[in-house]
Amino acid sequence: MPKANVNSNHSAIWHKTVVYGIVSVMLLPILATLVYSLSSSWGATILPDGFTLDWYGQLLSDPRFLAAFGRSLLICSASLALSAILVIPAIFVVFYYFPKLDKLMNLLILLPFAVPPVVSSVGLLQLYADSAWPIVGTPWILIGTYFTIALPFMYRAIANSFSAIHLNDLMDAAHLLGASTFQAFWLIVLPNLKKGLLASLFLSFSFLLGEFVFANLLVGTRYETLQIYLYNMRQTSGHFTSALVMTYFLFVFLLTWLASRFSAKPAAISE
Amino acid sequence: MSYVNVTQLTKRFADNTVFNDIHFTVEQGEFVTLLGPSGCGKSTLLRSLAGLNPVDGGEIWVNGENITHHSPQQRGIGMVFQSYALFPNMTTAENIAFGLKMKGMGQQEIQTQVQQVIELVALKGKEKHYPHQLSGGQRQRVALARALVVKPRILLLDEPLSALDAKIRKHLRQQIRDIQTELNLTTIFVTHDQEEAMILSDRIFLMNQGKIVQQGSPEQIYTQPANEFVAQFMGNTNLVSASAAKQLFNLDTPHKVAIRPESIYVKEAGRHYEPHISSPQLGVIKQHQLLGNVIRYQVEVHDCELSVDLLNRSSERLLANGSQLELLFNLNEIQPVSA
Repeated sequence: MPKANVNSNHSAIWHKTVVYGIVSVMLLPILATLVYSLSSSWGATILPDGFTLDWYGQLLSDPRFLAAFGRSLLICSASLALSAILVIPAIFVVFYYFPKLDKLMNLLILLPFAVPPVVSSVGLLQLYADSAWPIVGTPWILIGTYFTIALPFMYRAIANSFSAIHLNDLMDAAHLLGASTFQAFWLIVLPNLKKGLLASLFLSFSFLLGEFVFANLLVGTRYETLQIYLYNMRQTSGHFTSALVMTYFLFVFLLTWLASRFSAKPAAISE
Repeated sequence: MSYVNVTQLTKRFADNTVFNDIHFTVEQGEFVTLLGPSGCGKSTLLRSLAGLNPVDGGEIWVNGENITHHSPQQRGIGMVFQSYALFPNMTTAENIAFGLKMKGMGQQEIQTQVQQVIELVALKGKEKHYPHQLSGGQRQRVALARALVVKPRILLLDEPLSALDAKIRKHLRQQIRDIQTELNLTTIFVTHDQEEAMILSDRIFLMNQGKIVQQGSPEQIYTQPANEFVAQFMGNTNLVSASAAKQLFNLDTPHKVAIRPESIYVKEAGRHYEPHISSPQLGVIKQHQLLGNVIRYQVEVHDCELSVDLLNRSSERLLANGSQLELLFNLNEIQPVSA
């Protein structure tokens, strides 16, 4: 029916206008930062005087930047490895043996959000100030804290993967075919969590990479991570910090893109 | 001693008894069905046989071996689930091979056996498909193949057809029966569908509220229902009170009487009737339903409403609501039933 086609074309154009409009508004500051990071100087004129990659060259050859970047990667990877190792078996136990505990877990994983980071970091500082474990100012306290921040993301995404499969039937079927509970978990449950796990890992990674409050208050310059480096560099040239922000942004963008790629369903092969 | 012996099997969840004092035997190669309304305990009973739900009392013997306390892995029992329970991360061939792999069988041997069973369930060409790329009927055949390939001593089927549409269901149930006959496989099938149970089974165990209320061949259960519940659960039936039975059939009994809609006839003028056919009773048609090959009339006779099934011959012979007719009852096919 041509009429319906015209109608749907009209509404499609309208929908696209709205979406692209919002996207361009949101891209504006990023594009501006990108242009600023690429311009040699941009002061009293409408357009920059010239373009250069110098700022990126300076940044990428700064050993302090590379060290901070490495530290950030290390802390985030360690926190996420810890949470994956602890959370996956915990969710399995909850879903397989004690399904009623899922409600309690949903409450627990909201706790890190319930207390503002400033408050909980002050609490952590006090708690560990005179403790037998002097971990304030070391990467260890950050790994522990980031574990709790990543917990909600990890738990929800992996729990969703669990709800998407008939866990009990799959386990029963595997048991009847001769598999032990561990074999069933390893060969059947774990591969089916892959998508949710990877998506939540990349998402948490990009989130943790930008976390500032805990990093600043608990560790600060004693173990300079990327966020702290960015903060400490705020007094230097704006072009340089723009290049820093863009590098950082590209990295996070890459991770987010990977996260969405892994959470997308593969298209079914038609028969 | 029979191949499968179940004695005094009991299962409770907290203070709710799921099934109680279950006794039955199954011969080798027999196809039996646990039939009953939902919530009667049939699925839990099946899962207990598989070792997936521990029992609280009683024993299960298979081929002279007490398996009551064996783990599911040790029982040598195959099961097909209502949800198929295919492993989503594995292809058809990998799903089927899983049980053989767990047995530690060699790669070469696994391949031959998987190929054989794939041919048996007619899934050739689907070996490399993942479960989400298969239709419901194909998935259920993968599930069947996966259970068959390990050569189980008993095959358990938990409502395997209920998620499929009618046409595929009919086709697949015949396929299941053919394979079961070919392999001479002892099979226990769970369903709430009495038609499916009658078509497939050598014997039916009819369950209600955690008990087996009657067991026997489909014919026995259909024609000689042990009580009201069985009579009403198996197909359609008219249950008439003892006083109405006296009026309609001239029968003295303390029980209610069951008569199937197909055992009631309409008197045709000039036709001679055998002595086991009752004297005619005048009735009025209240309403009718067209079921396809059969028309079901609701007829009022002596304050008693009866369902009467007549073959759907032609539109001229369709009787209108409100018309009068003379009913005859086949006295050989009426059955007093206890409550």
